[in-house]
Amino acid sequence: MTPELDPVIHAQARLRVVVTLNALAQGDQITFPGLKDLLGMTAGNLSVHLSKLEEAGYVEIVKTHKGRTPVTYVALTRRGRLAFEEYTAAIRELLGTAGTPAPGDT
Amino acid sequence: MDEDERPLSPEETLRLIEQQETVVAKRLIPDMTLHHLAWGAAWFVGFGAFFLHHGLSGTPYARIPITVAMALLTGLMALAMLVSVFTVWQLRSPVHGASQERGSLYGLTWFFGFLAMWMIAVRFGSLLPGPERSLLWASLSMMVVAILYMVSGIVWPIRPMFVLGAGVAVLNAVGTAAGPGWHALLIAVGAGGGSIVTGLVSRRRRRR
Repeated sequence: MTPELDPVIHAQARLRVVVTLNALAQGDQITFPGLKDLLGMTAGNLSVHLSKLEEAGYVEIVKTHKGRTPVTYVALTRRGRLAFEEYTAAIRELLGTAGTPAPGDT
Repeated sequence: MDEDERPLSPEETLRLIEQQETVVAKRLIPDMTLHHLAWGAAWFVGFGAFFLHHGLSGTPYARIPITVAMALLTGLMALAMLVSVFTVWQLRSPVHGASQERGSLYGLTWFFGFLAMWMIAVRFGSLLPGPERSLLWASLSMMVVAILYMVSGIVWPIRPMFVLGAGVAVLNAVGTAAGPGWHALLIAVGAGGGSIVTGLVSRRRRRR
Protein backbone atom coordinates (compact mmCIF):
# COMPACT_ATOMS: atom_id res chain seq x y z
CA MET A 1 0.00 0.00 0.00
CA THR A 2 2.85 2.46 -0.67
CA PRO A 3 1.58 5.60 -2.38
CA GLU A 4 2.76 6.23 -5.92
CA LEU A 5 5.49 8.94 -6.10
CA ASP A 6 5.39 11.21 -9.13
CA PRO A 7 8.53 10.22 -11.12
CA VAL A 8 8.79 13.68 -12.70
CA ILE A 9 9.22 15.31 -9.28
CA HIS A 10 10.95 12.42 -7.52
CA ALA A 11 14.48 13.24 -8.69
CA GLN A 12 16.66 15.39 -6.44
CA ALA A 13 17.36 18.18 -8.91
CA ARG A 14 13.81 18.48 -10.22
CA LEU A 15 12.39 18.28 -6.72
CA ARG A 16 14.51 21.28 -5.73
CA VAL A 17 13.33 23.17 -8.81
CA VAL A 18 9.69 22.47 -7.96
CA VAL A 19 10.14 23.35 -4.26
CA THR A 20 11.71 26.68 -5.25
CA LEU A 21 8.99 27.57 -7.74
CA ASN A 22 6.29 26.47 -5.30
CA ALA A 23 7.67 28.94 -2.75
CA LEU A 24 6.78 31.83 -5.04
CA ALA A 25 3.37 33.42 -4.60
CA GLN A 26 0.73 32.45 -7.12
CA GLY A 27 0.93 34.82 -10.09
CA ASP A 28 4.69 35.33 -9.63
CA GLN A 29 7.47 34.31 -12.00
CA ILE A 30 11.21 34.12 -11.45
CA THR A 31 13.95 34.97 -13.92
CA PHE A 32 15.99 32.05 -15.22
CA PRO A 33 19.30 33.39 -13.74
CA GLY A 34 17.54 34.05 -10.43
CA LEU A 35 16.31 30.45 -10.33
CA LYS A 36 19.75 29.17 -11.33
CA ASP A 37 21.35 31.05 -8.40
CA LEU A 38 18.81 29.77 -5.91
CA LEU A 39 19.53 26.20 -6.99
CA GLY A 40 23.25 26.46 -7.56
CA MET A 41 22.87 24.59 -10.84
CA THR A 42 24.51 25.19 -14.18
CA ALA A 43 22.35 26.79 -16.86
CA GLY A 44 22.56 23.66 -19.01
CA ASN A 45 21.53 21.34 -16.22
CA LEU A 46 18.65 23.58 -15.19
CA SER A 47 17.44 23.84 -18.81
CA VAL A 48 17.29 20.07 -19.10
CA HIS A 49 15.24 19.70 -15.94
CA LEU A 50 12.97 22.60 -16.85
CA SER A 51 12.13 21.06 -20.22
CA LYS A 52 11.20 17.79 -18.53
CA LEU A 53 8.95 19.70 -16.14
CA GLU A 54 7.50 21.72 -19.01
CA GLU A 55 6.74 18.52 -20.96
CA ALA A 56 4.78 17.27 -17.96
CA GLY A 57 2.86 20.58 -17.90
CA TYR A 58 4.26 21.46 -14.47
CA VAL A 59 6.13 24.63 -15.37
CA GLU A 60 5.52 27.49 -17.70
CA ILE A 61 8.47 29.16 -19.41
CA VAL A 62 7.93 32.61 -20.84
CA LYS A 63 10.54 34.16 -23.09
CA THR A 64 10.21 37.91 -23.48
CA HIS A 65 12.25 41.10 -23.81
CA LYS A 66 13.11 43.77 -21.28
CA GLY A 67 14.16 46.62 -23.52
CA ARG A 68 16.55 44.85 -25.89
CA THR A 69 17.73 42.09 -23.57
CA PRO A 70 15.89 38.81 -23.74
CA VAL A 71 14.51 37.59 -20.39
CA THR A 72 13.18 34.18 -19.50
CA TYR A 73 10.65 33.81 -16.71
CA VAL A 74 9.76 30.53 -15.07
CA ALA A 75 6.71 29.68 -12.98
CA LEU A 76 4.91 26.62 -11.68
CA THR A 77 1.56 25.95 -13.37
CA ARG A 78 -1.59 25.11 -11.40
CA ARG A 79 -1.03 21.53 -12.41
CA GLY A 80 2.54 21.72 -11.13
CA ARG A 81 1.41 23.11 -7.78
CA LEU A 82 -1.18 20.39 -7.46
CA ALA A 83 1.35 17.69 -8.38
CA PHE A 84 3.77 18.99 -5.73
CA GLU A 85 0.98 19.05 -3.14
CA GLU A 86 0.14 15.44 -3.93
CA TYR A 87 3.83 14.51 -3.90
CA THR A 88 4.43 15.95 -0.41
CA ALA A 89 1.22 14.32 0.82
CA ALA A 90 2.51 10.97 -0.48
CA ILE A 91 5.90 11.49 1.19
CA ARG A 92 4.25 12.30 4.51
CA GLU A 93 2.05 9.26 4.15
CA LEU A 94 5.16 7.12 3.63
CA LEU A 95 6.62 8.60 6.79
CA GLY A 96 3.37 8.16 8.64
CA THR A 97 3.33 11.85 9.57
CA ALA A 98 0.30 12.86 7.56
CA GLY A 99 -1.35 15.88 9.14
CA THR A 100 1.41 16.52 11.68
CA PRO A 101 4.09 19.15 11.14
CA ALA A 102 7.50 17.97 10.01
CA PRO A 103 10.07 17.58 12.80
CA GLY A 104 12.37 20.58 13.01
CA ASP A 105 15.60 18.58 13.15
CA THR A 106 19.06 20.02 12.57
CA MET B 1 23.51 13.66 -13.13
CA ASP B 2 24.15 10.35 -11.36
CA GLU B 3 23.89 11.97 -7.96
CA ASP B 4 20.68 13.70 -9.04
CA GLU B 5 19.03 10.48 -10.09
CA ARG B 6 19.85 8.58 -6.89
CA PRO B 7 16.50 7.74 -5.28
CA LEU B 8 16.00 9.45 -1.94
CA SER B 9 14.38 8.00 1.13
CA PRO B 10 11.21 9.78 2.31
CA GLU B 11 13.15 11.28 5.24
CA GLU B 12 15.86 12.63 2.95
CA THR B 13 13.20 13.96 0.59
CA LEU B 14 11.43 15.85 3.32
CA ARG B 15 14.71 17.28 4.58
CA LEU B 16 15.65 18.36 1.06
CA ILE B 17 12.28 20.13 0.69
CA GLU B 18 12.72 21.97 3.99
CA GLN B 19 16.30 22.95 3.22
CA GLN B 20 15.40 24.36 -0.16
CA GLU B 21 12.40 26.23 1.26
CA THR B 22 14.73 27.88 3.80
CA VAL B 23 17.21 28.86 1.07
CA VAL B 24 14.42 30.42 -0.98
CA ALA B 25 12.91 32.30 1.98
CA LYS B 26 16.30 33.72 2.97
CA ARG B 27 16.96 34.90 -0.56
CA LEU B 28 13.55 36.34 -1.43
CA ILE B 29 12.29 37.78 1.86
CA PRO B 30 14.00 41.07 2.77
CA ASP B 31 15.84 41.24 6.07
CA MET B 32 13.99 43.97 7.96
CA THR B 33 16.50 44.14 10.85
CA LEU B 34 18.31 47.30 9.72
CA HIS B 35 15.06 48.99 8.71
CA HIS B 36 13.58 48.53 12.19
CA LEU B 37 16.81 49.52 13.96
CA ALA B 38 17.17 52.70 11.88
CA TRP B 39 13.57 53.79 12.47
CA GLY B 40 13.82 52.87 16.13
CA ALA B 41 16.92 55.05 16.55
CA ALA B 42 15.32 57.92 14.58
CA TRP B 43 12.17 57.91 16.72
CA PHE B 44 14.04 57.45 19.97
CA VAL B 45 16.47 60.33 19.41
CA GLY B 46 14.10 62.57 17.40
CA PHE B 47 11.08 62.32 19.69
CA GLY B 48 13.45 62.25 22.66
CA ALA B 49 14.54 65.77 21.63
CA PHE B 50 10.88 66.82 21.36
CA PHE B 51 10.22 65.39 24.82
CA LEU B 52 13.10 67.40 26.31
CA HIS B 53 11.85 70.49 24.46
CA HIS B 54 8.20 70.20 25.60
CA GLY B 55 8.59 68.67 29.07
CA LEU B 56 5.71 66.78 30.67
CA SER B 57 4.11 69.78 32.35
CA GLY B 58 4.95 72.42 29.78
CA THR B 59 8.36 73.30 31.28
CA PRO B 60 11.27 72.25 29.02
CA TYR B 61 13.82 69.82 30.48
CA ALA B 62 16.56 71.04 28.17
CA ARG B 63 16.99 74.10 26.04
CA ILE B 64 16.57 72.47 22.70
CA PRO B 65 15.02 74.92 20.20
CA ILE B 66 12.04 73.48 18.32
CA THR B 67 13.89 74.00 15.02
CA VAL B 68 16.77 71.82 16.26
CA ALA B 69 14.39 69.09 17.47
CA MET B 70 12.58 69.24 14.13
CA ALA B 71 15.82 69.11 12.12
CA LEU B 72 17.06 66.18 14.21
CA LEU B 73 13.87 64.16 13.76
CA THR B 74 13.54 64.95 10.05
CA GLY B 75 17.20 64.24 9.32
CA LEU B 76 17.18 60.92 11.16
CA MET B 77 13.92 59.89 9.48
CA ALA B 78 15.41 60.73 6.08
CA LEU B 79 18.38 58.49 6.91
CA ALA B 80 16.03 55.73 8.06
CA MET B 81 14.10 56.08 4.81
CA LEU B 82 17.35 55.53 2.89
CA VAL B 83 17.94 52.39 4.95
CA SER B 84 14.42 51.16 4.07
CA VAL B 85 14.97 51.80 0.38
CA PHE B 86 18.35 50.04 0.57
CA THR B 87 16.73 47.04 2.30
CA VAL B 88 14.47 46.45 -0.70
CA TRP B 89 17.07 47.45 -3.30
CA GLN B 90 19.83 45.13 -2.08
CA LEU B 91 17.47 42.18 -2.42
CA ARG B 92 17.41 42.69 -6.23
CA SER B 93 14.60 40.20 -6.28
CA PRO B 94 14.48 37.99 -9.39
CA VAL B 95 10.75 37.63 -8.84
CA HIS B 96 8.39 39.36 -11.21
CA GLY B 97 4.60 39.48 -11.31
CA ALA B 98 1.78 39.79 -8.81
CA SER B 99 3.88 40.36 -5.69
CA GLN B 100 6.04 42.96 -7.43
CA GLU B 101 2.91 44.85 -8.40
CA ARG B 102 1.62 44.53 -4.84
CA GLY B 103 4.91 46.01 -3.60
CA SER B 104 4.61 49.04 -5.90
CA LEU B 105 1.01 49.66 -4.85
CA TYR B 106 2.10 49.37 -1.23
CA GLY B 107 4.74 52.05 -1.82
CA LEU B 108 2.09 54.27 -3.40
CA THR B 109 -0.13 53.76 -0.36
CA TRP B 110 2.58 55.25 1.87
CA PHE B 111 2.86 58.19 -0.49
CA PHE B 112 -0.89 58.89 -0.47
CA GLY B 113 -1.08 58.42 3.30
CA PHE B 114 1.61 61.03 3.87
CA LEU B 115 0.21 63.37 1.21
CA ALA B 116 -3.13 63.42 3.03
CA MET B 117 -1.42 63.86 6.39
CA TRP B 118 0.71 66.70 5.06
CA MET B 119 -2.30 68.58 3.69
CA ILE B 120 -4.27 68.23 6.92
CA ALA B 121 -1.32 69.32 9.07
CA VAL B 122 -0.46 72.34 6.90
CA ARG B 123 -4.08 73.49 6.73
CA PHE B 124 -5.01 73.10 10.39
CA GLY B 125 -1.59 73.41 11.96
CA SER B 126 -1.47 77.16 11.28
CA LEU B 127 -4.53 77.63 13.51
CA LEU B 128 -2.88 76.00 16.53
CA PRO B 129 -0.40 77.26 19.15
CA GLY B 130 3.20 75.93 18.81
CA PRO B 131 3.15 72.81 21.01
CA GLU B 132 -0.28 71.72 19.72
CA ARG B 133 0.87 72.17 16.13
CA SER B 134 3.90 70.00 16.78
CA LEU B 135 1.59 67.38 18.34
CA LEU B 136 -0.70 67.51 15.30
CA TRP B 137 2.20 66.71 12.95
CA ALA B 138 3.59 64.00 15.20
CA SER B 139 0.28 62.26 15.91
CA LEU B 140 -0.91 62.32 12.30
CA SER B 141 2.36 60.89 10.98
CA MET B 142 2.46 58.16 13.62
CA MET B 143 -1.15 57.30 12.79
CA VAL B 144 -0.22 56.71 9.14
CA VAL B 145 2.78 54.62 10.23
CA ALA B 146 0.72 52.56 12.69
CA ILE B 147 -2.02 51.76 10.19
CA LEU B 148 0.38 50.85 7.38
CA TYR B 149 2.55 48.69 9.66
CA MET B 150 -0.55 46.79 10.71
CA VAL B 151 -1.65 46.37 7.10
CA SER B 152 1.78 45.12 5.98
CA GLY B 153 1.84 42.77 8.95
CA ILE B 154 -1.39 41.26 7.64
CA VAL B 155 -0.60 41.25 3.92
CA TRP B 156 2.89 39.69 3.97
CA PRO B 157 2.25 38.32 6.78
CA ILE B 158 4.80 39.45 9.35
CA ARG B 159 3.38 39.19 12.85
CA PRO B 160 6.03 41.35 14.63
CA MET B 161 5.27 44.17 12.22
CA PHE B 162 1.56 43.97 12.98
CA VAL B 163 2.26 43.96 16.72
CA LEU B 164 4.55 46.98 16.39
CA GLY B 165 1.89 48.85 14.37
CA ALA B 166 -0.82 48.07 16.91
CA GLY B 167 1.45 49.17 19.78
CA VAL B 168 2.28 52.44 18.03
CA ALA B 169 -1.45 53.05 17.39
CA VAL B 170 -2.26 52.67 21.10
CA LEU B 171 0.67 54.83 22.29
CA ASN B 172 -0.20 57.45 19.68
CA ALA B 173 -3.80 57.64 20.87
CA VAL B 174 -2.86 57.77 24.55
CA GLY B 175 -0.05 60.27 23.96
CA THR B 176 -2.26 62.57 21.87
CA ALA B 177 -4.85 62.64 24.66
CA ALA B 178 -2.16 63.35 27.27
CA GLY B 179 -0.40 66.22 25.44
CA PRO B 180 2.77 67.05 23.48
CA GLY B 181 5.34 66.12 26.16
CA TRP B 182 3.74 62.78 26.96
CA HIS B 183 3.22 61.99 23.29
CA ALA B 184 6.91 62.62 22.53
CA LEU B 185 7.95 60.50 25.52
CA LEU B 186 5.65 57.58 24.65
CA ILE B 187 6.67 57.58 20.99
CA ALA B 188 10.40 57.93 21.77
CA VAL B 189 10.44 55.09 24.29
CA GLY B 190 7.52 52.94 23.07
CA ALA B 191 7.68 53.26 19.29
CA GLY B 192 11.46 53.83 19.14
CA GLY B 193 12.22 51.09 21.63
CA GLY B 194 9.52 48.85 20.11
CA SER B 195 11.02 49.22 16.66
CA ILE B 196 14.48 48.32 17.97
CA VAL B 197 13.03 45.25 19.72
CA THR B 198 11.17 44.29 16.53
CA GLY B 199 14.46 44.58 14.62
CA LEU B 200 16.16 42.24 17.07
CA VAL B 201 13.23 39.79 16.96
CA SER B 202 13.24 39.65 13.15
CA ARG B 203 17.00 39.10 13.23
CA ARG B 204 16.57 36.14 15.60
CA ARG B 205 13.74 34.69 13.50
CA ARG B 206 15.88 34.90 10.40
CA ARG B 207 18.86 33.21 12.03
CA ARG B 208 16.73 30.27 13.11
